Amino acid sequence: MPASRFTQTGNYRVRYQQDQTIFATYAEQASLIVGVLLLLALPLLIPKTMLRDVDMIMIFAVAVLGLNVTTGYTGLINIGQAAFMGVGAYATALAATRLNLPFFLAIPLGGLAGALVGTFVGLPSLRLKYLYLAVATLAFQIIFEWTVGHSPLLAQGGAISMPTVQIFGIRDTFLNHNMFWYYIILPVLVAMALLWRNVLRTRHGRSMIAVRDNDRAAAAMGINPGTAKLTAFMIGSFYAGIAGGLFAYFQKAVVIEDYGLHTSVQLLAMAIVGGLGSLPGSFLGPIFIVALDRFMGSASSWLGEKDIFPQGIDVATAMRPLAFGLAIMLFLMFEPRGLANWWRLVRMYFKKWPYKF
Amino acid sequence: MKKLLALTALVSLASFATAQKATTLVWSGAITGPTSDAGSSYAAGVEDYCKYANSQKMLTVTLNCVVRDDQYNNANTQRIFEEFVGSQNVPVFLGYATGAMLQIKGVVQETKIPTLPASYHIGLIDPPNNQYMFLPVSSYSENMVALLEWVAKKERGAKVALVVNPSPFGRDPVVDARKAATRLGLNITDVQEVGGNNLDNTALLKRLESQGVKYVINQNTAGPVANILKDAKRLNLLGKMQFMGAHYTGGEDLTKLAGDAAKGFIWATSYYLYDEGDRPGIQLVKKIGAQAGRKIDTIRSVHYTSGMLAAAIAIEAMKRGGKDITAASVYKGLTSMNGSRAFNPGFSVGPVTFSAKDHVGAESLRLLEADATGNFKAITGAQRSRMFQLVHPLK
Repeated sequence: MPASRFTQTGNYRVRYQQDQTIFATYAEQASLIVGVLLLLALPLLIPKTMLRDVDMIMIFAVAVLGLNVTTGYTGLINIGQAAFMGVGAYATALAATRLNLPFFLAIPLGGLAGALVGTFVGLPSLRLKYLYLAVATLAFQIIFEWTVGHSPLLAQGGAISMPTVQIFGIRDTFLNHNMFWYYIILPVLVAMALLWRNVLRTRHGRSMIAVRDNDRAAAAMGINPGTAKLTAFMIGSFYAGIAGGLFAYFQKAVVIEDYGLHTSVQLLAMAIVGGLGSLPGSFLGPIFIVALDRFMGSASSWLGEKDIFPQGIDVATAMRPLAFGLAIMLFLMFEPRGLANWWRLVRMYFKKWPYKF
Repeated sequence: MKKLLALTALVSLASFATAQKATTLVWSGAITGPTSDAGSSYAAGVEDYCKYANSQKMLTVTLNCVVRDDQYNNANTQRIFEEFVGSQNVPVFLGYATGAMLQIKGVVQETKIPTLPASYHIGLIDPPNNQYMFLPVSSYSENMVALLEWVAKKERGAKVALVVNPSPFGRDPVVDARKAATRLGLNITDVQEVGGNNLDNTALLKRLESQGVKYVINQNTAGPVANILKDAKRLNLLGKMQFMGAHYTGGEDLTKLAGDAAKGFIWATSYYLYDEGDRPGIQLVKKIGAQAGRKIDTIRSVHYTSGMLAAAIAIEAMKRGGKDITAASVYKGLTSMNGSRAFNPGFSVGPVTFSAKDHVGAESLRLLEADATGNFKAITGAQRSRMFQLVHPLK
């Protein structure tokens, strides 16, 4: 137990039990409550047009949390997270349109479908590692797109319209759509983040970390690396499935283009830029990439309008992928721990402030 | 204090009056990103026609033309739609990509905003949720069925292959094409999906050759088709197989990319082309393009004309709807375009006609063939596919 439950001036933990606590001080608990209250009030504080981006950030954050379980915590490179999102989205769409399930059942069903497929796709991880596993997940991404494109049940990749949702007598309409989904996505995100934090404190979570650091040493310690890897894939794709279900309702229709390889790369970029295996990074990464995307979109449009480049060279089109690539490369080179490390440094500063040492 | 109040009232009245004197036309499409080669010219067409409409005082109010780049991203299209329809009450929306348009179809129905896409996917105007979506010209499906009719006239029982884009844009017309082929006595031996990464089509073409395919109908964009044509030339198949395609396969884009391999390619489209300078619509395209200072490549592009047609239809609907330009009045204006009130700005080979049930604008199309210089010359007059209504009755 720290010397004070209000401020943390050092590490006074002497038992594993103490080391397992989520919050070290009351201040941390209070900051979370204040943070959640601020988030609840956020739609009233920001411009209306920005709310859609915030919703997108929160949905991506759910998917990135999942990616941080497989890639960040267990070290299994996954270039198919968008396909798992797609599995969740299509499963949710089928549950909502064919089985007429309400959204609060259809979305978890999407998560379960994602987990089921994810566990199956994770099977090669028992044999493959590193680049080979990355290619296996990439193959799943391609198989997913092909399968959807050839399935009449899934409209061959065309649009499956989602039913309109109503909750507590409030109907999701065009005018309140972003606000409506904000207050659905936010509790889901908070719950998923708490679940993430708690799962990783269990023996399964510790097994994943041990497997990431050295799977042979983990096996020598009595951990079954295969089980840990499959668990990681199952949990990671469950998160993706939930994100896909939310995205399906949020976009009002499921279209294969939303779950393509570019989205998988985008999610991986979010995880890397945010900081692999980090909870704050799972939020900071999506914020950074969505903001970068918006900024680059405006910048490339502006450049496209100016005739400053030779005819036939579409510099504007190349700028967005270039910016993504550059951001990932620069983070890997200069800040491999991602934005989460900056967040850590800021917190450390304020912990010591106003003292220098 | 009284003076201040009077001044405030005056300013409010002035701003209210100004607000009544303007309306907004929004286009969202790919100026950058995938398919931006077509999208940037389309955007230029929309923008320039708006400026022209203002200069000609076509409307009693000023037209604010907003051209936004959605980067071929469905979520961006939705955001742009929400931004303008939700906050600024735009009375009509001009869209672009098939995926994005399919995704916003339900929202369009809910908000009752007349929407004209650059995608001619027939599913956009099929039920359900089909009341407010309008195709400016004939659909991809009708293009393909018309090409099949041409094949059937030339050689009944011929073997035909369909090469389509691996997307809803590419796949959708296949069902109608199959139905039409059965009625026309043609044999569709193969349906292949080919995307933009088809750098070597040897295997595809050799397989089609071994099947005895004589006609290859493409539903794709110009890039993949150009690669197929170049490979067909390399394999000496150009004389043996007749390559054909729906609207987005052809035009200047194809001849630029495929060079002389495009010779003999047969293309179905509803638009007049730049080289048909005697057409009043094309004269107008040239005039507006020159006034706007566009590059010749932009003006030559059929997508520049397409953008102009979409803007022209929207503006004409605004004009016909009455003094107060609202979504309801634009809808009324659009559905009044029929019979003697059909709209014919001259960009397409037939007049634009809409009604509450008819949501295809310029229904006529022509088949054109690329000559040795890479220019497309009409090989048929303006026509409608006879078979299309039978295989895809519009409701």
